[in-house]
Amino acid sequence: MVRFHVGIMMTYIVFILSVIFVVSFVGFSSKPSPIYGGLVLIISGAIGCGIVLSFGGSFLGLMVFLIYLRGMLVVFGYTTAIATEQYPEVWVSNKAVFGAFIVGLLSELLTACYILKGDDVEVEVVLKFNRAGDRVIYDTGDTGFFSEEAMGIAALYSYGT
Amino acid sequence: MSVVYINIFLAFTLSFMGLLIYRSHLMSSLLCLEGMMLSLFVMMTVTILANHFTLASMTPIILLVFAACEAALGLSLLVMISSTYGTDYVQNLNLLQC
Repeated sequence: MVRFHVGIMMTYIVFILSVIFVVSFVGFSSKPSPIYGGLVLIISGAIGCGIVLSFGGSFLGLMVFLIYLRGMLVVFGYTTAIATEQYPEVWVSNKAVFGAFIVGLLSELLTACYILKGDDVEVEVVLKFNRAGDRVIYDTGDTGFFSEEAMGIAALYSYGT
Repeated sequence: MSVVYINIFLAFTLSFMGLLIYRSHLMSSLLCLEGMMLSLFVMMTVTILANHFTLASMTPIILLVFAACEAALGLSLLVMISSTYGTDYVQNLNLLQC
């Protein structure tokens, strides 16, 4: 039974990851103390890496997570240690931060519920979004044994000079 | 267009709002700037991977390089502010008095 539920969940894994992505963005956009914002930024970077990896971009996902996040957040951690205060604010210790967090969460929940309402629902904001599967990738056939996004990045030094 | 894009647009808009609305620390606005760059990277990468734009795969790397440079600039400004005023509170930045 657990295997059945995991089988159902795997088709929506990208949608679930993107919902957690938005929730973690709300976590640091509601501006608690910068230490906690930095911690939540690490989590959102990991979830964003997960989204990229589930579309098959292994090189780009590892690039953003290992190199960019690690470099950025070490520097951010040291700078926050310079300019921080004695009693850092958590999300529940200030009404403004907590209110912003609740507003962000509510907007994401409303969006997710509206999207999940039916199987043929279409959301049109400026463009049209449909629920034809979370990972709709155009099928252009098999490209062999090499990864085409790594070849595209390597083309920075041949085509992109 | 798949549904993941709505959530990534929403993440970008939320961190953009967080960047524009100041609270007490300048550092948290810089973190929101990093969040904007991260959501732009994810959106660009998902578009490129879903449509097989192979040669465009270099643009997320270039975006990351320039985001790192701008984060370094922002952090150096913050260190200068912190060494002048002691903290990085935005209420200290009142030389223009407007």
